[in-house]
Formats: sequence, C-alpha cells, structure tokens
Amino acid sequence: MEIGEDPCGHRHLPSPKPTALFVLVFHFHRTIDEISCAAPMSKKVITREEWERKLKDVKIRKEDMNKLVMNFLVTEGYVEAAEKFRVESGTEPDIDLATITDRMAVKKALQSGNVEDAIEKVNDLNPTILDTNPQLYFHLQQQRLIELIRSGKIEEALEFAQEELAPRGEENQSFLEELERTVALLAFEDVKNCPYGELLDVSQRLKTASELNAAILTSQSHEKDPKLPSLLKMLIWAQNQLDEKAAYPRINNLTTAALEDPAV
Amino acid sequence: MPASAANNRPEDLTARLGVGAGAAQGEALLKALREVKNQIIGNKTKKLLYLHLGAVPKIVSVLAAAAASPSSDSGGISRGGDAAVIVQAAAAIGSFACGVEDGVRAVLDAGAVPHLTSILSHDDEKVVDAGARSLKMIFQSELAPKYDVLQEKNLNFILSLLDSDNENVTELAASIIAHSCETNEQQKALCDAGVLLRFVSLLGGSSNQKDGCLESIAAVIKNNPEVSSRFSCTGNGKALNALANLIQDRYPHTRLLACKCLIAVGHASPCYVEELQIKTKLVLVLVELLEEPGRVGNEAPFSLKTLIADDEELHKQALSVNAIEKLCSILQMSSVQARRLQGILLALAELCSKLEKCRCQLMSPQVLNLIVDALKHDCMDVRVAACDCIRNITRSLKNLSAGCLSSEAFIVRLVQLSHDPSTSVQIAALGALCNIVINCATRKSVLIKCGGVSQLVQLSKSMDSALRSKSVLALRNLMFLADITDKEFILKELTLCTLASLIYDSECSIQEQALALTSDLVDGCSQSVKHVLAEDSIILDAVMRQLQNASSIGVCIQGMFVLSNIAAGSESDKDTVMNYLVPPQTDSCIPSFTIKFLQSKDILLRVASLWCFVNLTDPASVGSSRRVARLQDAGIVLQLKSMLNDPCLDCKLRARMILEQCMELETAQA
Repeated sequence: MEIGEDPCGHRHLPSPKPTALFVLVFHFHRTIDEISCAAPMSKKVITREEWERKLKDVKIRKEDMNKLVMNFLVTEGYVEAAEKFRVESGTEPDIDLATITDRMAVKKALQSGNVEDAIEKVNDLNPTILDTNPQLYFHLQQQRLIELIRSGKIEEALEFAQEELAPRGEENQSFLEELERTVALLAFEDVKNCPYGELLDVSQRLKTASELNAAILTSQSHEKDPKLPSLLKMLIWAQNQLDEKAAYPRINNLTTAALEDPAV
Repeated sequence: MPASAANNRPEDLTARLGVGAGAAQGEALLKALREVKNQIIGNKTKKLLYLHLGAVPKIVSVLAAAAASPSSDSGGISRGGDAAVIVQAAAAIGSFACGVEDGVRAVLDAGAVPHLTSILSHDDEKVVDAGARSLKMIFQSELAPKYDVLQEKNLNFILSLLDSDNENVTELAASIIAHSCETNEQQKALCDAGVLLRFVSLLGGSSNQKDGCLESIAAVIKNNPEVSSRFSCTGNGKALNALANLIQDRYPHTRLLACKCLIAVGHASPCYVEELQIKTKLVLVLVELLEEPGRVGNEAPFSLKTLIADDEELHKQALSVNAIEKLCSILQMSSVQARRLQGILLALAELCSKLEKCRCQLMSPQVLNLIVDALKHDCMDVRVAACDCIRNITRSLKNLSAGCLSSEAFIVRLVQLSHDPSTSVQIAALGALCNIVINCATRKSVLIKCGGVSQLVQLSKSMDSALRSKSVLALRNLMFLADITDKEFILKELTLCTLASLIYDSECSIQEQALALTSDLVDGCSQSVKHVLAEDSIILDAVMRQLQNASSIGVCIQGMFVLSNIAAGSESDKDTVMNYLVPPQTDSCIPSFTIKFLQSKDILLRVASLWCFVNLTDPASVGSSRRVARLQDAGIVLQLKSMLNDPCLDCKLRARMILEQCMELETAQA
C-alpha cells in the first residue's frame, strides 16, 4: 500500500463502515462448505433476505474492528489520526506512537526527493537496518542517482554511479542490471520519454519509500503490511470461490460495500 | 556544496576523529562521527577505506573518553552531548563489525567490547540501545570472543542482560549465548541458571526477540540429551508446546528457527519428538519454507535434510507433500545462490538415498542436466553436493541401466572432478563414480577410454587414506563383471606391485577392497589366474600373508573369496590353493587359519571358507580325490562333518555339498 498524500494533515478518521464486509469474510467458509454438499449441477440462488439474515447471525466484536483500524493507521503512519482514535475508542496501539513520527519523517524526506536526509534519519533510528539489508541500501542509492539525474547534475550523477553504485553492482548481479537501467537514463536527451523513463516517475519514489517503511517496521518487530487489505483480498477470493457454486448478493464496490442483488 | 563535500573526504574526516590535539571537539566531533557513520553503513567499500585509514581505533578512543567522562553525571547540556557522542561512536563501531571480517578484527583489536559493555548500564536508553545493537553485530561474527559461561562472572553478566526490559539487551544476551555455548558443561550451566526458562518466557515477545531466543535455545540443547529432556519437561511440556506453535508463526524465519529447535530436541532426546505427527508437521513446514526467498529459503533445505536423515518413513512423508517437485522447481529457477543450491542438492541426495520412488522423480532430463551442471559450479560445496546427489540417484540399478546417466560428457566430468583441488570434491566424485561403473559395460568403456583408470590408479597411491579407499573401491567396481580385455587393461595400469601394496595397506578397509578387487579379477575368468600367480606369486603371497595375520574379519572374508575363486579354475590352480591351505609335507602343520575360519562366529567367513573346499572337491576334476585324501588327513573333513548342523542354512548346505562330493569321489574310486 502506498500513500501518496501527506498523512500529517488528516483531521478526519476514515469512516469505518465495514460491518457487512467482515461478516462476509468470516461467514464464507461455512457457506461454501454447506453449498458444496448440494448438487453441483445448478447454481444455488441465495436471496438478499436470506443472505442478510445469515450475515446478521455472525457476531463481530467491536474491539476487533477497532484494532484493525488502529493497525491500519499505525502501519500506514497516520500518527495524529492514530492518537485521536486511541483517545476516542480506547484502543491501545501495539507500538509506541512516537516511533511513527520518526518513521514518517524518513518517508517524507524520501518522497520529497531528499534521499540523503532519509538515509541519515533511518541510520539515527536504527543503524542496523541498512547494514543488514543490502537490497534496500542499493535502492536508496539508486534513488539518489535518479534524483541527481532528475535535477540535471550529470557530472555529479556519473561520479556517484561510479563511486557508490558500481561497487554494489560488483557484489550482486541483479543490482548491476538495475544500475545499468538507471545509468541508461543519462544517454537520452528527453529522459521523461525514454524507455526507462518510469524510473523518474513519482511512483518510483513511492516504491522506494514503501520498501524503506517496511524495513523500519520489520526492525521494530511490527508487521510491514496492514491487515485490512489482506482481509479485503480474502473477501474477493472468497466471493470468486462462491461464484462457481451460487448466485448471491455480491459486493462489487469495496468502498461502499453495497450488496448487489443476485443475477438469476 | 563543494566546500563541505571536500571536508567530508574520508582522509579529512578521519583526521578530525580521536582524542587530544588535532581532533575535533564538541559539536564538530559529533558531526564528524555522524558523517563517518552515514558513509559506512551499508557500504563495504567505504568501510574498507576507513579501516585502512585507521579510523576504528580513533572512534573507539572517542567512545572510551566519552563513556568515562565524569560530566555524564553532572546533568545538563554536557550530559546530552556526551550521550550523543557515545551513540554515534557506538553505531559506527557496530557498522564496522557488520559484513566485513577485517572490520570485526579492527573493532576487537581496538578493545571496543569492554567500552561498549560498560555503556549498557548507562541511564540514557538510547545509549543502551546503541551499545547493545553494536555488540550484537560483533557477536554475530565468528571472530568474536567466546564468553565462557562456566566462569561465574560471565554467567552473572549474561543473566543480568537477560533480565533487562530493553529488547535490544535481551537480544544481545541471546546472541552471546548462541555464539559462545559450545560444550556440554556450558549447556548444563546455562540450563541450571534458568536460562531456558527465561527464553521460553521471552518467546511471547516481539518477533526479533523470538528469533534470538529460538537460536539460543537450539544452541543450549543441541546434542545434549540431559538439557534437552529438562527443556522438554519445562512447565509440563509448555516449552515444547510453545515451539510447536511457533512452527506455524506468521514469520517464515521464526518458523524455520522453531523447526531447528524441535529437530535439535528430537535428535538429543528422541522420546519427546517421537510422535510421527510432529515430525510430519515439521516436514510440511520445512517443505513450504523451501520456496521462501533469501536466508530462510537458503537454510530450509539443510534443516529438511537433517530432519529426514536416514529415516525412510520421513522420506515418504516428504515425498507425499511434493518435496521433490518443489526442490526441482527451485533448481530450475535462474541464478540460484550457491548456498541454496548446495542445500537443495543435499536434500535431494538425502531423499534419493533409500526410496526408488524418489529417484524416479528426478529422472527428467532437465533436472538431471541441472544436477550435472552443478558439477561445474565454482563453489566447492555445490560440487560436493552434486556428486552426492548423483551417487544416490545411481544407487538404483534401474536408473543405471536405463542409461539416463550414461552420457559420455558426464562421466568425463566426474573423472575430471576426481582431480579437483579440494579433497572433499575428489572423494564425493569417486563416490559417484563407484556407483556409475558398477554394472554397465558402456559406462565402463567410457571411463576406460577417457583415461579414468590411470587417474584412479594414481589416486590409489594417494597419501590420503579416504582417497585411496574410494579409488580402490571404484577400481573394484570397474573390475566387477568386466570383460577379459578390460580386466587385462585395468591390471596393466594398476600393476601387480601396486595391487600387492594395496593388499598390504595400513588401513584394513583398503586391504579388504584390494582383496575384493583381486577376487573380482579372478572371478569367472581362469585366464586371469595367471596374473595372481605371476612374478613369484606376489599377489597370492600377499593374500596368504594377510590371511595368516587375520587382522580383521572383513580382510579374511575377502581373502578366502580370492582363494575360492582361484580354486574354481584349472587343475593346477586348484593344486596351488590346496598347497597353500594344506601344505603337502606331512610334518609341517597346516596353516592355523583354515580350521579357525571354519569355526569362526562370522557366518560370511564360514561361507567363504566352505566355498574354497566346494571348489577343491569338485568331482569333475581329476585331482579331486587326491585332494580329498589330504583334507581327510589334515582333519578338515572331520571339521566339515561337525558343520552339518551349522545354525546357518547356507553353511549347512555347503558343508553337506562338500561331504557328498567327497563320498562320490570315494565310491568312484572304490
């Protein structure tokens, strides 16, 4: 998950209306089992009333949902929102919220193209992260090179590639290939439209920032991905499984979680 | 900013570090330290450069001065300043100790460990974190000093670390234990001090802490039945349950470490992990971990191999969860790391060691080609693993004769590997060759054509007894059922003189193989007997000498097989053997071994000896009645009669057969 906007300005909590959605995920297992016992020839049709009745029978604890929300806020780094949510809902985060601020400062530096600053900050946070994670270190150095190329400092870029990146390429074949792709940017007049132009895209910064964010979380013994997206993935998977066996009120729009009437 | 860039040159920065004249002070020193730290983290080239410039002792002296500075107690700004210097210096030292052996050495030589240890009791938590992280880096290296926990002072120190609330400190304690605990006494001392209990309680903590604890638990229980069973009984099996839960942990690395712990418990005290259910689960988890990227995927095959070693039941389990398919699909990925490749090949070798079904799964040409390619790998360990794998695949006679592995290039490659600079590769290659040449005429001729025989002969004269043993075994297998031209060729390369000296080798196992080679030479081929008798019977004399010395049962058995194979030959061959076993002069007593072997407790030795007499009393041979008379005189017939009730059926039948042949000869004469 990548967050493109600056999270610090948030005042509103993402309104959690996910009841139906979670109920679905938790409920599906049983439903699939029940249906698979039935005759496989014709699809069973489940009406909206029946479906809603079944959903109502499933109980989800409020605290569990709050924890999921807190987990999302903490992992994605919405520190102010997390703090507010803690006060309002009484849900304790599983990590010191102060560490989120540090992590977000690192991420922000990287997202605004200040790679050196990000490296110094992460080294202050925990000096072992980049020392034990050569791939991440390489990607940060690669990002530095990209920023130099972006700002047109060609000579500096060449020198940096030679002094800092070439030795990493010698240590690892896949780094060398990535390095070659990056240096190729220097060969084009119109870098934005050259074959490797996507390296100059904002998405490349976000990719590197997300990798760094994950590494910091891992060093803090925190999961690097929030649980909410995996629950949504599970929902989609479960619906796909169920589609083969039954027609039922499906959720097609994840943001509204509206139940669509089954097509008969 | 060219000005500041120039100031940040490693030479200038190093000059500013240190204590005393010329060194930077206060804020400038802090800045220099931080700059060095940021330059070296993750950057091996820079680390080496600064090492070369002598930065490490300077940074350690800064740390020492700052840690000892009395201002750290006076409060206020200076205290914060000191703490910041300590944190930066400790972080830089830790980074030097990470990933570069020379760096660890420099850090140790500069005496960093005591200073880093002293800051672990600092008031400022950030200083403690920095010290603990830095020491942890150092103790992850093999070069780090070992803490002898048998010394009370050391043990107390480790226990105090373990009691800390700071996770970095408890992780450090775990690293020190994993690094230092080696002997049974040390394991017991740690266990007595309650370390295992503490680890079990820490298993509930963060994932980094869990991993550290699991590594240390494995180190403390490894190969120690007493400690291992005490661990297993901890809290009515609570500890074992915790491990069993952790093999399903969310994190692959934690799962792997928990598996390693359970495997260690299983090996040290089998009764606690004997249930097949747990082992089946371990197989399942480890097979899944094979596909993990990085360190976990690299180490998983090694653990899988250790778990299923020599256990046919577990081989079947692994087969049933598609272990071989998974291993093969990883093998087929592009650019597999050496460590991983080694593990995969070793796991495949283990799986192919017993079950034919497993071997059959490897018979696809793509997979075989990849294994054969691994014979050429740059890394020695991979070459050894590939040889082991081929050796075990070719244990199957079916695979051997199916000819999948008969490509000329591949045998040539193995022969080349028998000259490898590494002895372990040589031994592994010979192991594979032994199986490959055993029962296939085409492969024998490929080996002979590519100069393999002279290579094997050369190795049979090696100073290394393992090489001698394997090369003689390979020659023996090559000789087995070879045709007469090949036999003649092998013998010509080997020479009678070398064969004789191998029969006299200092190692019993080599004597045995050399004698077996001799009996394969003579087997079914009366033309070869002349070689055994050539050059003043140099070979036969050697055989007799070893039989008289009777140094090991195996040697005697093979020696008697040589004699019985010769006795299967012509009239004069039989007489030669007869003269050795029962000398014609009545006054000289028969060699003591003949009767002794017939009375031996070893079944195979009795069988081998009986076969000699079966051949000597062959009724179709004209001299047999003369020989029977001599056997009678020497008291051997009496001994044979006593063997009619031998507990071994084979012996009983052979003894009866000989006596019947004797009777037949007597009646024919009468």
